[in-house]
Amino acid sequence: MPNPLSPIVPILDLLGRELKILPATGGAVEDLQHPDQEEIEDVVMTRGDEQIAAFSETPEPDVSNIYKPTPPLFRQEKHLFRFFIDGSIRSYFLATGIEGTRSFPIELAQVGATVVRREDTGQVNVYSHKQKVLLLLPKQNQGISDTLWDKLRKIGKPDFLEIIDFTLPDALSDAKRDPRDKAGAKARSEMHKLEIELIESTDTARNEDTWLILDGSVKFVEEDIWESWKSRSSPHLIGVAKSFRKDPMFQFGQRPSQRKDITGILAGLPHAHRTAAFSADGGKIAFWYVRLREQKELDYPLMGVVKVEIPRPDLSPVPAELADLISRVLVAERNVTPYGLDHRWHCSLYPTHIAEQVIKNRFYSKDVLMGCIKWPKP
Amino acid sequence: MNEAKQVEAIGKTSATDRDPNTSDKFSFWLAPGVIVNPFDIVQVEQVSHEGKSETFGLVTILEHRTDSPTHLANFISSDFGELAEEPNTPRQGTTVANANVLSNSKDIYMPVSSDKVVNFADEPRIQVALGIDTMETADRIPAGLIMMSNGVAAVAYVDRRYVLGPESAHVNITGISGLATKTSYAMFLIQSILQKTPQEERDKIAVIILNVKHGDLLQIDQRPERGLSVEEMELWERLGLEPKPFDSDKVHYFLPRGRDGLPNCFYEPSPHNVYAYDLENTADKLDLLFAQVPDTYFTQESIISEIREGIKNREPDFRNVHSWDNLLNEKPLFDPQTHSAIREWRGIKGSSIGVFRRHIRRMIKTTQSGVFVDGLHAHEKVLSDEILKIRGGHVYVVDIARLYEHEQMLVFGDLLRTIYKLKAEPPEDRETSPPEKIIFFVDELNKYAPKGERTAPLTQNVLEIAERGRSLGVILVSAQQFMSAVHPRVTGNCATKIIGRSGSAEVMSTDYGFLDKEIKSNVTRLSKGELLLSHAVYRQPVKIRFPRPAYQQQEA
Repeated sequence: MPNPLSPIVPILDLLGRELKILPATGGAVEDLQHPDQEEIEDVVMTRGDEQIAAFSETPEPDVSNIYKPTPPLFRQEKHLFRFFIDGSIRSYFLATGIEGTRSFPIELAQVGATVVRREDTGQVNVYSHKQKVLLLLPKQNQGISDTLWDKLRKIGKPDFLEIIDFTLPDALSDAKRDPRDKAGAKARSEMHKLEIELIESTDTARNEDTWLILDGSVKFVEEDIWESWKSRSSPHLIGVAKSFRKDPMFQFGQRPSQRKDITGILAGLPHAHRTAAFSADGGKIAFWYVRLREQKELDYPLMGVVKVEIPRPDLSPVPAELADLISRVLVAERNVTPYGLDHRWHCSLYPTHIAEQVIKNRFYSKDVLMGCIKWPKP
Repeated sequence: MNEAKQVEAIGKTSATDRDPNTSDKFSFWLAPGVIVNPFDIVQVEQVSHEGKSETFGLVTILEHRTDSPTHLANFISSDFGELAEEPNTPRQGTTVANANVLSNSKDIYMPVSSDKVVNFADEPRIQVALGIDTMETADRIPAGLIMMSNGVAAVAYVDRRYVLGPESAHVNITGISGLATKTSYAMFLIQSILQKTPQEERDKIAVIILNVKHGDLLQIDQRPERGLSVEEMELWERLGLEPKPFDSDKVHYFLPRGRDGLPNCFYEPSPHNVYAYDLENTADKLDLLFAQVPDTYFTQESIISEIREGIKNREPDFRNVHSWDNLLNEKPLFDPQTHSAIREWRGIKGSSIGVFRRHIRRMIKTTQSGVFVDGLHAHEKVLSDEILKIRGGHVYVVDIARLYEHEQMLVFGDLLRTIYKLKAEPPEDRETSPPEKIIFFVDELNKYAPKGERTAPLTQNVLEIAERGRSLGVILVSAQQFMSAVHPRVTGNCATKIIGRSGSAEVMSTDYGFLDKEIKSNVTRLSKGELLLSHAVYRQPVKIRFPRPAYQQQEA
């Protein structure tokens, strides 16, 4: 059986001939993912939302008590969430390329996204899956020349393999300075694009009784899909973030004593309760926090809490009943937990974990990758 | 039988870094809802030089695996020990079956690749898997029915050439008592052999059966009073056999004489013969009586030898020795005139002769069932003489159920020696040649050929049959509760082994080394009517069912 990544060989051959290559130790070095990548992403994507001053819930919550009980509502009673999407990424530093006086990293990334569908029995099946292999190179003035770029573009490639210029602007990579970090952020952007494609693949199946959970924030979703959601009363999806920024301040009035930080809010959030829904991104998103697990079961008050985001394309506040329903159903999702497999087990949703495993199990192994990383000898 | 079920896919092979598929084993996960049990036979596609081949596997053990790394993770996933809560999404898990490779249709023993679809084998494939397709049709003896989890059934045939010779021979059956399985199976197999042998050949096979318990085998020519159930009848039919007792006109019963001269048995079949032992016909078998008597310095053996030769050659010392009484109370072992033991005889000290006399008195006089007589009645037979006259196509049942243990040893040894003699040196006065094959069935083999460093004369006789019986045409069908209690050279020479339910300590002994660890654990779970069949032609043992005997069995 030929190496499935063999189409990359002529590209590396070309780079090897045209550039001076300093290969990575051992041929390729896997870039370890930052443990709180989601949190970092949340910081980047919610820039400007450090001060939360408005609720996005109707009727407007009472400032004196922003916690509402949301006892679990199990699948047997209300099977609201049917679709679960997750994306995953595995990237490798292959070499440092030198062209003239410019040196830059050459990175390879596997990105994938999967949506699983949960049946009435609770069993999950893969509904749709997409994955790509990306060769990430800088173009422009810190990267490879226009001539070499043109030559690279002319090499025939299968659909799953793309050459990406990681200097092209996007919200995630723009926030990075180091070229290798930029490449990684660009790969994450590409992963989110796959997730968006999968959200669209469930468009016709989602309705008020069939919702989708996206792992992470809904903010990365591009503008065009927001446009399409405007025509619907609700996109019937939420984003559930296990890791989120810990620095926003909540202002519930004019006085300084009415100002609370997130730690204070979440430390007081009882088990199976939610906070009031807050407004973000100019009202386009309503978000709140739900405690899935008892604090006594955990080491730290912020553990066992997820951040829920719901798109409000028409800028309307979320009905309290809907936020309650979503929160109750989420509390019921606390079991099974991937304890021992994921350090964020306390706030993981198991179907999302399964989706992640589907992707990771479909990635090519490092052995397959190394089988085609052969730089021409100088 | 449902055709669709026979070809349904049940899972896919799975090879991992830690758990690879090999030439001998492979694993496969099961599709949800599929039911597979140990001993099911499965088929999977394999490569070949031309086209494709099929690899067959025997399921040995099934494991359910989940993505939970620890039990603690499961505890936490039940809300820290909440018993009532049902998870919204059940934990991901699958049942993985491990299979031993049985064979490949084109003799390719490359490891099975991962992700190949696995199917239940259908009946023709089961027979290919076991190598039955390579047996000549005439050599196929139904030995039981393989029943798979999907309802498919296939006859497990054993190869006549490996049961009756010349390739190999002998059958051994083991398993705990109380399940009425061992004897029933032996009788079923003997009936299967006889029914599947053409008449001409059948007339060359004689069967000798020892009845050791109750009246179990004293009505083998009688139909069962209660009849057989429909299921039992179907099982007989499925095996291609007729559920009928042995032919009355060809079954001969030999019952031991009792104290009152009447047969000493649990059931008196009609017609029957009564056998007894007088001194003259037992002198050359005295060593069999002493099989369990310790004889460190071989003094007893010397005395037995002198007596045997003395009586046989009518030596002057034995002029007045015609009965057991004479042997005990007359010269040369005793001086009736002085009423005292002799001091020395032929270099043997008087104390040793005293020991011999005490044993003989115990066995012949005080603790005897009546089978020893000083003189034979006209109707009482000498067993060895009768066995020397056996004919092919006939069945001879010798009852020893009510005999004392030393008497049982004598009878068993007598039969073995007589058969061996008949085949090795046929008597000149026989009008017809001896049967080509003599099948000899004995239960409780551990009594007659126990494991141990000392090999008693009786054990030696059993070893002779086990090791050289094949070439002579003497086939031993033996049974016992514990194989570990039997001399390993006997069981080792049995090309067909049948194992019923056994305890885990028993199957862990070295005698069961031919079974995989996983298969051993299954042996402890076999139920009534289920047996494991290990045959020389099969690469792996298979689980079989067999029908109840179609003759009258005495209730225990």
